[in-house]
Amino acid sequence: MSENQNPQPQTGTATTDSDQSLTTTTGETVEQTRDEWTNYEFQGEAKMTVEDLDVYYGDDHALKGVSMEIPEKSVTALIGPSGCGKSTYLRCLNRMNDRISSARIDGSVRLGGEEVYQDGVNLVELRKRVGMVFQSPNPFPKSIRENIAYGPKKHGDLDTGLLARLLNRSDADERDRLVERCLRDAALWDEVSDRLDDNALGLSGGQQQRLCIARCLSVDPEVILMDEPASALDPIATAKIEDLIDDLSEEYTVVIVTHNMQQAARISDQTAVFLTGGELVEYGDTDQVFENPHSERVEDYITGKFG
Amino acid sequence: MAGASRTGGNLVEKETTETDAVAAVAIGLSAVLFALAIAAMFERISLTGTLAGVETVTLLGGLLTALGVAVIAFGVGSRFGSVETDPDPSAGIIAGGGAAVPWVVIGGAVASETLGFGTAVGAVAAVAAGAVAFAATVLPREDVGSTLPLGSLLAVTGLVFFTGVIGPTWVWELGWAQQAAITAEFLIPVATLFTTLYGGWASAKAYGGFGARGRHMGAYVLVYLNAISIVAFLFTLVAYVVVQGVPGLLNGADIGLGTGPETTILGVSVTLPVSVPFVMNGVALFNDFQGVLPAIVGTVWLVIGAVLLAVPLGVGAAVFLTEYADRGRFTQVVEVATNGLWSTPSIVFGLFGFAFLIPRFGNGKSLLSGMITLGFMLLPLVVITSREAMLSVPDEYRDASAALGVSKWQTIRSVVLPAALPGVVTGVILGVGRIAGETAPILLTMAGGTFIPESQTVDVIGSFQFTSAPPFVANPALLEATSALPYQLYALITAGVGLGSSVSDPNAFRWATALILLIVVLSFYAIGIATRYYFRRRLRHN
Ligand SMILES: Nc1ncnc2c1ncn2[C@@H]1O[C@H](COP(=O)(O)OP(=O)(O)O)[C@@H](O)[C@H]1O
Ligand SMILES: [Mg+2]
Repeated sequence: MSENQNPQPQTGTATTDSDQSLTTTTGETVEQTRDEWTNYEFQGEAKMTVEDLDVYYGDDHALKGVSMEIPEKSVTALIGPSGCGKSTYLRCLNRMNDRISSARIDGSVRLGGEEVYQDGVNLVELRKRVGMVFQSPNPFPKSIRENIAYGPKKHGDLDTGLLARLLNRSDADERDRLVERCLRDAALWDEVSDRLDDNALGLSGGQQQRLCIARCLSVDPEVILMDEPASALDPIATAKIEDLIDDLSEEYTVVIVTHNMQQAARISDQTAVFLTGGELVEYGDTDQVFENPHSERVEDYITGKFG
Repeated sequence: MAGASRTGGNLVEKETTETDAVAAVAIGLSAVLFALAIAAMFERISLTGTLAGVETVTLLGGLLTALGVAVIAFGVGSRFGSVETDPDPSAGIIAGGGAAVPWVVIGGAVASETLGFGTAVGAVAAVAAGAVAFAATVLPREDVGSTLPLGSLLAVTGLVFFTGVIGPTWVWELGWAQQAAITAEFLIPVATLFTTLYGGWASAKAYGGFGARGRHMGAYVLVYLNAISIVAFLFTLVAYVVVQGVPGLLNGADIGLGTGPETTILGVSVTLPVSVPFVMNGVALFNDFQGVLPAIVGTVWLVIGAVLLAVPLGVGAAVFLTEYADRGRFTQVVEVATNGLWSTPSIVFGLFGFAFLIPRFGNGKSLLSGMITLGFMLLPLVVITSREAMLSVPDEYRDASAALGVSKWQTIRSVVLPAALPGVVTGVILGVGRIAGETAPILLTMAGGTFIPESQTVDVIGSFQFTSAPPFVANPALLEATSALPYQLYALITAGVGLGSSVSDPNAFRWATALILLIVVLSFYAIGIATRYYFRRRLRHN
């Protein structure tokens, strides 16, 4: 579980095969990435397709020509050292990068065949279909119930306002059913069913994170993006989140960033390894990536030699 | 505590001993002296009178001397090992500087004035006395250094009062071009206060056994005495206004069924069971008791109007600056401008209202002009505090909302603003405190008079009229000259003796007006604090 905390220039291991190595001006040899290492063949449909994705923050080239297909209803893990662009990649999938003014994105991301980066994309619809859970739990400072009903209310799917109540058209029952369903799906219902009106900030960190997952489920997403969702949690809370992710993958397409390799190995169906510099180096079946990686740099990273 | 060897590993503090008790009594004595000094300063106790059967000055002097002797005894006892302490090698330079200051004053004053050697010798003596005190603090071990110079200071000051060298009628003419003198009424409380602070500090250090723990105790006592004096000052101020104002306020007040005036509440005419003419009447020739009702109502409407104007504008500007505008030159300029506006003198705002607003609203002083002027005064503070509050709302909330597909404006409305509300309310509270008491802008924009008849009580709600021509609503009440409490108070004071014919006791009338102003402002505070508490409760989990 070693992690390269300071992204240094890579000192890749020299390989005998001259075809795979490229001599740099400094005389070090750097492993050349091969396309077939990231050509993951899988059964079933691709939920999201990313092609030649480049991201720049100002002059900083954070992601370099990433292409990958994300299979439907499965767990895809993204691993790699800090600063290699995992979060950047994830934020491209629901266009959260639009919120960073210095970010510039090139390439194509398709959701179920539809281009995400084209004019006229409805961001509301996109983000409803591609939900996101963040690194540190971030429930709103509102009650548990309000946290979950927040999205649908703002989208006009639920109306429990004063006017609706006066006109006897309140969706309060519908809302309560939704709250219960989401909390059950996020394995939180049993712990909080008797205090739905308490402030969410009173929950423990693990409960808050599951509440955030429940909140994300409230708008009926197809894809759930998670950026190191358990890195701020203790082992027991982490185990609960991992179980939950496993359950969710039956209905949802889950893409999870983690720097915990055991976690990636435990919960994911396929794993993508990013290395420093914003390259996708290897992408394939989790067992294959962990047991028999093509890339030596990936092997070094996984076995802890990297960095 | 003979035989108790003091090794470094003593985890359990030593038990209370007689010497500790002495130090504790010294601290208590300091507290008593401190309270007496404050009371004397505000003339709650008279210096010429007696206290507990002893002349006040003699008592203060005796207590000071006793405190000084106790402090010295403790330090010397510690030095010769009869008191168990844990002193450092030196009391330190800061303590030395602290001890030097009063000795500089004493040395200078005694040499130049008491002994009459003149200014030059006085200056030399001042420096010499300060240097000796500094050396006596810094050079010896901490227990002596932090007790001897301060203890002697207390003892000397105490003896001067005790022996009557400086008595209750002592005056020192400064001999300046202006009339200036230092009197005993000023000197004795101030000297007692300061020397007592030193005494409390020294005895607290002694109580802590000197060393690190002693310094901690010393700082603790100083901080406490300081906090207490601030609270005492505030309390005295309010108490003074209350004591002076209550007689006028309750002049002619009555409780009992049917004593109050008739009012209409929700369409039902009721007779109030209390009657407080001062707040229920205006001024009229045939009134038994006169009152300031029009000014109270004017103040309340004035504040409401200013808040209604400033809060939406200010919060809107803050939303734009924090959530929409890119951080850069423009936001910086706006920031500087708002800060500058907040420090702009109120008379300048008043002048703006006078020159710009009045010609536009019926060419006369009016409630509306006052509201707008004070609203502009309040605006910068609302912008500043709302911005601060919005900036401190974590970005995680905005991210979470955006990730749900919620639009920026809806996010601001449903997440950012509620989270920032307590901060916004704090800003409004502070601002209202300032504008509700403003006199200058009202003087220029609203006026009113010294005595306002009840008929001039503004009725903002009842004056709304609907017209068939644009702007379709009109409210003549807003365009009438209206009085507010601060201005009326000012008018009452400047009107001087000429009041006699209308009000039986002009002085009581003025103080009662001041008290009412205080109550009105404090009520706005209370409303604000309750609102903030409510919003905070909603954001927190307990
Ligand atoms: N908002 C941003 N502005 C500028 N540069 C950024 C921003 N976010 C990330 N970066 C840069 O992009 C690179 C990838 O960052 P990130 O995607 O957060 O990596 P990871 O999640 O793998 O740790 C880093 O070099 C980082 O400094
Ligand atoms: Mg990251």
